[in-house]
Amino acid sequence: MAEPTAHEQWLAKLETESKTRQEQFMNGISQRLGHPRMTEKPQHPFRGAPDFWKAFEWSEDERIRAFTDNFVSVGGHVARLDTMDDAKQFIADKAQEMSAKFVIRQNQPELDALGLENALPDAKVSVWNTDPEQYWRARAAEADFGVVIADHAVAYTGSVTVLSGPNKGRSVSLLPTVLIIIIPVERLKTKLGEVLTSFDEAGREKLPAGIHFITGPSRSSDIENDLTIGVHGPGIVYALLVG
Amino acid sequence: MSGSHQAGATVKARAELALNDEFLRKAVKFTTERLRNGKKKASEEHGNWDEWRERGKQIRLHTIAHLDYYLNLFVDNARANGVHVHFANTAEEAVKLTLDIAEHANAKSVVKSKSMVTEELHLNHALESIGVEAIETDLGEYIIQLAGEMPSHIVIPAIHKNRYQIAELLSKEAGYTLPPDTTALAGFVRKKLREKFLEADIGMTGCNFAIAETGSMVLFENEGNARMVSTVPKTQITLMGMERIIPSWEDLEVMATLLPRSATGQKLTMYMSGITGPRRAEDADGPDEMHIIIVDNGRSLQLGDPEFQELLNCIRCGACLNACPVYRHIGGHAYGSTYSGPIGAVLTPSLNKNIAEWDDVANASSLCGACYEACPVKIPLHDMLVYLRRRKVESGNGSKLESIGMQGFATVMGNSSRLGGVLRLGKLGQKLVVRSGVIRTKLGPLKGWNTYRVTPSLPKESFRDRFDTLDQELKQGLKQMDPAMQSRMEQLVQQRKNNGDSGKGGHGHG
Repeated sequence: MAEPTAHEQWLAKLETESKTRQEQFMNGISQRLGHPRMTEKPQHPFRGAPDFWKAFEWSEDERIRAFTDNFVSVGGHVARLDTMDDAKQFIADKAQEMSAKFVIRQNQPELDALGLENALPDAKVSVWNTDPEQYWRARAAEADFGVVIADHAVAYTGSVTVLSGPNKGRSVSLLPTVLIIIIPVERLKTKLGEVLTSFDEAGREKLPAGIHFITGPSRSSDIENDLTIGVHGPGIVYALLVG
Repeated sequence: MSGSHQAGATVKARAELALNDEFLRKAVKFTTERLRNGKKKASEEHGNWDEWRERGKQIRLHTIAHLDYYLNLFVDNARANGVHVHFANTAEEAVKLTLDIAEHANAKSVVKSKSMVTEELHLNHALESIGVEAIETDLGEYIIQLAGEMPSHIVIPAIHKNRYQIAELLSKEAGYTLPPDTTALAGFVRKKLREKFLEADIGMTGCNFAIAETGSMVLFENEGNARMVSTVPKTQITLMGMERIIPSWEDLEVMATLLPRSATGQKLTMYMSGITGPRRAEDADGPDEMHIIIVDNGRSLQLGDPEFQELLNCIRCGACLNACPVYRHIGGHAYGSTYSGPIGAVLTPSLNKNIAEWDDVANASSLCGACYEACPVKIPLHDMLVYLRRRKVESGNGSKLESIGMQGFATVMGNSSRLGGVLRLGKLGQKLVVRSGVIRTKLGPLKGWNTYRVTPSLPKESFRDRFDTLDQELKQGLKQMDPAMQSRMEQLVQQRKNNGDSGKGGHGHG
């Protein structure tokens, strides 16, 4: 092991201080609350949504309809496609229509199989994190299109969930001007809770650094309550429901 | 963001400034109505709103009641995720920690997403004092930062600015003239801040919720700047109020149902992000180093206080501002502190524990209870405002004149002939000031009241004068009862007697 750097020594010092403070802080809280320090997990009778809500579920048709209505109502676009080939065609058409020059996509097998590189002869298609020398955040920032596959989707709120990983950059769904999300239809759930409880079940150690729910294009009403689309994140978002 | 009390020393003085600003008043009214109607529509459409509110309240009550357990669990888990966790009892400590981290990161600039806690700490000034540029990246916050002002609304900080004023501010920044057009203005900010995101050494965020069981922090936003700030720079600093905890992701469903609907009427904000530690070794984005500073700054004073503990349940949605008739008239700046509206009127003096200094804020309320009705976690704000007023008087900070007045009132009202005498004097005296039945003079003790209203004159013959006559008439009336009614009543009495004779009343026990 190499000698710890000055920065690491400073962080270690902060951690020692923090652990001492933690005890004081928690003891102060329990004292104010008037009970001894709680070390056992307390009974939580109200965990999660009300029971009637947990029982609520839509059919696939209803889920697709609700997702589409919700996504469109906030300014997103939805296309219902049968196969991944249709998705490829859709992306190729849009790229041509908008003259996309730079496309960045996640490094996932489903997207490898899509063959966007050949379908978009006029654009440079980069694949996330395939070259350690690249500054990938800048590659995502200059991209016209970002292409990702959804890990989950929620019909009731019209949201898509993307999880980060070595092959799945957070920037790909954030920095490009146009975002294209492919949603395999079987990943579309009724309620937010179905997706959220899966993170409790997975447990801390299995969670990725970034879990992002995306519910449409970036927006703001900060100037005179006037709706503006695409303030920092992508202003144009396509959700492609496939299958 | 400069000191807490700006232009005008009292709520009344600051409110007068606001009331004289026609645009501000209209903008606040329009915005709050838009948000309030949005919330109404969203909560009705969702259905069973009161059951969701109750559930939200129970989760918050449970977490705060066991805060030592859940906060500790969060800290242990966050640390296991690789986060550097720090504790700050006071604003000064939080600022010191932040500056220490910024210095060790050799930071030249910090990009910030909206955070009420950093407003509370006046962090931007502190960063600038050590030569670090602090850039607000939420569109509204960026605008008021350029203007050097404080947010006037929790959710929409720049509602008091119109697009002409904004175009002027942004043109100065751009070095060329921008049209007063929303899309063009937002487009300029997008481009300008893109550069800042990519250059910045540190990204700074607040925290909407922190999940104890996995050590994750959750951010709700619409613009994507909070995602930028927590994805692009090498170092992330999150400032978090110590009460932001919820136990699990499952509980987040309830908060995610209540918060966006209550704040803006949305089913969900455009982005909801759960961040669990810095980037993993193999990841190509996300911060290398992540710090979470847990801030007390007066919050723990509410713990164990039966009247104010529920303040810590607040999820910062701003629904009470939009519902409040006083806020709608005077706007956020009149409250003179980071938090405005009903929640601010209670939170500010409670966090600062200097009720005397902020006492007039508690009086800027009509106690109508609209804030409680609007609150998604059912915080009884209107009761708390009464407790604050009581504490102010108990601590000897009440108005001397008011106390003397109340004593005088008690003396007069405690004795009927004394009251009669005073009223007779009043009737004589008022002849000097009554004009067409009302008193309009703004002199003497009536100045405060008559500035906005008129005082009715004492009538020639008051209810009190007429009471003896009325009493007589009533007694006469009773004597001459309608014969039919009288016979019915007598019949009833007779019946009751018969029942009683049979030995068993309706309430007898076998």
